[in-house]
Amino acid sequence: MPKPAVSIAVAALAALAAAGCGPGLRQDTGDRVPTTWSRIPAGEVPVLTGAGGMPAAVGARARTIGALYRSYVLVLENPTSLPGENRLSIDVEAVPDSVLGALTRPDRPFPVPLYTEERLRDTLEREFPGLDADIAPVAGRNRYGDYDYAVAGDATRRCVLAWQLIEDRTRVLPETLSAVRLEWRMCGRDVTAAALLAPFDRLTLTAAPDILDAGSYTPPPAAPLPLAPDR
Amino acid sequence: MTRPLFPALIPAAAAALLAAAFPSQAAAQATPRALAPGVEVEVDSPGAPVPGRIDETALRYYARIGDVARLEAEIARLKAIDPLWDPPADLFAPQAQPSGVDETPFWERLSAGRIAEARAAIAEQRVRTPGWQPSARLLEELDLAEATRRVRDASEANRWSEVVEAAAAEPRVLTCARLDTLWRTAEAYGRLGRTEDAFALYRTAVTTCPRAAERRDTLFKASAHLPPERVRDLAELGATANPAEGEDYAAVRGALAELEVGRTLARLGARGAEPAAADLARAEAAVLERRDADGALALGWFHQNRRRFAQALEWFGRANEWEPGERAAEGLVLAYAGLNRRAEALEAARPWRGTSRRVDQAVRAVERPAGTGGPAAPRGPSPLDRALAARDWSGCLDLIEAERRANRFTAALAQQRGWCLMELDRPTEAEAAFAQALALAPSAPPAERRRLTEGAEYGALQARLRQDDATGVVRDLPTSQLSEAQRRDLRAGALASQALRAYEEQRHRDALRLLDARRELEAEPRGLTLMRGWSLYALGRQNEALAVFEALDRRLSTADTREAVSVARRAIYRGE
Repeated sequence: MPKPAVSIAVAALAALAAAGCGPGLRQDTGDRVPTTWSRIPAGEVPVLTGAGGMPAAVGARARTIGALYRSYVLVLENPTSLPGENRLSIDVEAVPDSVLGALTRPDRPFPVPLYTEERLRDTLEREFPGLDADIAPVAGRNRYGDYDYAVAGDATRRCVLAWQLIEDRTRVLPETLSAVRLEWRMCGRDVTAAALLAPFDRLTLTAAPDILDAGSYTPPPAAPLPLAPDR
Repeated sequence: MTRPLFPALIPAAAAALLAAAFPSQAAAQATPRALAPGVEVEVDSPGAPVPGRIDETALRYYARIGDVARLEAEIARLKAIDPLWDPPADLFAPQAQPSGVDETPFWERLSAGRIAEARAAIAEQRVRTPGWQPSARLLEELDLAEATRRVRDASEANRWSEVVEAAAAEPRVLTCARLDTLWRTAEAYGRLGRTEDAFALYRTAVTTCPRAAERRDTLFKASAHLPPERVRDLAELGATANPAEGEDYAAVRGALAELEVGRTLARLGARGAEPAAADLARAEAAVLERRDADGALALGWFHQNRRRFAQALEWFGRANEWEPGERAAEGLVLAYAGLNRRAEALEAARPWRGTSRRVDQAVRAVERPAGTGGPAAPRGPSPLDRALAARDWSGCLDLIEAERRANRFTAALAQQRGWCLMELDRPTEAEAAFAQALALAPSAPPAERRRLTEGAEYGALQARLRQDDATGVVRDLPTSQLSEAQRRDLRAGALASQALRAYEEQRHRDALRLLDARRELEAEPRGLTLMRGWSLYALGRQNEALAVFEALDRRLSTADTREAVSVARRAIYRGE
């Protein structure tokens, strides 16, 4: 075969392979689409929940997107009869370990900013249907910095949704991690919002051994507080 | 005379009207035009159409290639420019090329959406044929095609401000001839909260588009971004303004009625919804007239949730008559249960027992779980029965919790708790409840043990499916102690989950293969049929996709089905 024809054939095959549409080839989305959720023991979720105040774990699952993202959901007991699961969601974003990894970085599994006002309103309606919800005017604070939260409830039941994006790589995160996103959804009966948030305030991340506190952190009391109208 | 490539920003709606009314002026005034970077040509030199005369270049091109839809649109456009103009008698006859250059290859590239290639080819031709000028119509179409693409790309990426900017830079795309671009721009205004600008564009469409279907579809589009009263204004305009000969605009008023009924029916399911009596009566009349089973179900649940069991029974009965199905049967069972007519409830459930989880679950509201109230309980519906009949799943949990605290917890109650948790979207806890039911089953009376064991195992697998564990369910199904009907139900659920996964991974042939396998087991829900259509669309099987979308839209027209029909039709029109 003459040399130009070989080159053309090789180029054509390369183009087809790159496009993923040639005969016998399939589109490779393996690193860009999340895996299905797999069930894992609750102890494999990279978090230490401490002792007091944390509801019992009912189940846990995890999934990945390529080598960069790993997501966990720890489902917790819900003592109310409200819809929706109590849970701690953790998304861990690693730093790519190659130029290729950086160039082919998949979409984040969570949006940034974590919530817009509209999306938060939709989320609160979905998470706490039929309950009035308010966004807390003052941020909460846990080991890893400030977080925002909303409170919903009625006469006897109270729910919180807290969300946090940890991106501080100067102090909190090691250089292997790019970000950690946390979401805490908890409903309880005859408890304050503060009591519902207390386990979130106290949790310790173990996604890497050298994650540090943000500093000036004081753990809140572990025991549930009596019902009160406000936090 | 010189002017920039893009005209100065003009308010979009006014410009759209201007462009519709005087496009020939816009074309004739254009002087220098960019072809490729650094290349400009004069379009008012010899070879270009004479000002004041109709430019039939595009018309003849469409006639030559036999593109009837575009030919019709071009005739309508030229007639709008000059009402006295008629298509030439020799439209389909071969034409000599006055300039000696056949423009067909450029038009072909333009038609295929290869705009940059078309511009490059024109530039190349000019080098080869000095003095040759492309027709003004070709250059205008290139400009418009580029603007249309900018609007479409920005719109598909949800970059609404960019959509508005792109349309404002080339307002000639905001006409009925490019209705999709006009809709996308109006949507962008709506998303940006510029309701009046959105209204102005929709008004342009419903007052200038000659076809009733275009005006009707505009109304459906507008309903997503305008308040109901503004949609009513549009409907009034669309039904009366600038009527075209032979068009019946009753469809526009019909669309408004359909939208209003749809809005009422959609609101019925909301917590605490109490529509105005007139709206409810209108919706009921429309449902009766159309024999709309889905509408009847919505009305049935509306009354059932308010414990108006007799009215609920009427609507569920109609739904079952018009389109017999498990959802109608479920409603009938629960409405009869609410009226304490147990025998009729069980009779209504009979055709679906063992094959429908919905109906089996509804039957549990009639056949009180063992242990609820105990053997000395009085006849009639228990509080738990009533909670289940009213679909009060939170109440169900509270009542079962009370039984548990009173040490009257049984396998049947644990199982019922699992189903109530499933309804509350708490599948992980539901799985634990079914595991508890399985553990308690050996202590149940011997006659009930097998049924309880099967039910708990089936519930646990359903809960796992809801947790996205289709792989685990498929693995465990062969060793389970389930009935054939239960296995089939779970297999269908697992196939649906796997099909969705294949769709997300863009393995569309797999998605169709799995959906076909699932359809052999049970009827396909609307959501999966929509997914089937999009998979066909992604595989380039546009006509099949359109057939799927249209069939779905005829059964129940929703925003999703209308959008799907519109997208598939556009793709077929563009020859994609």
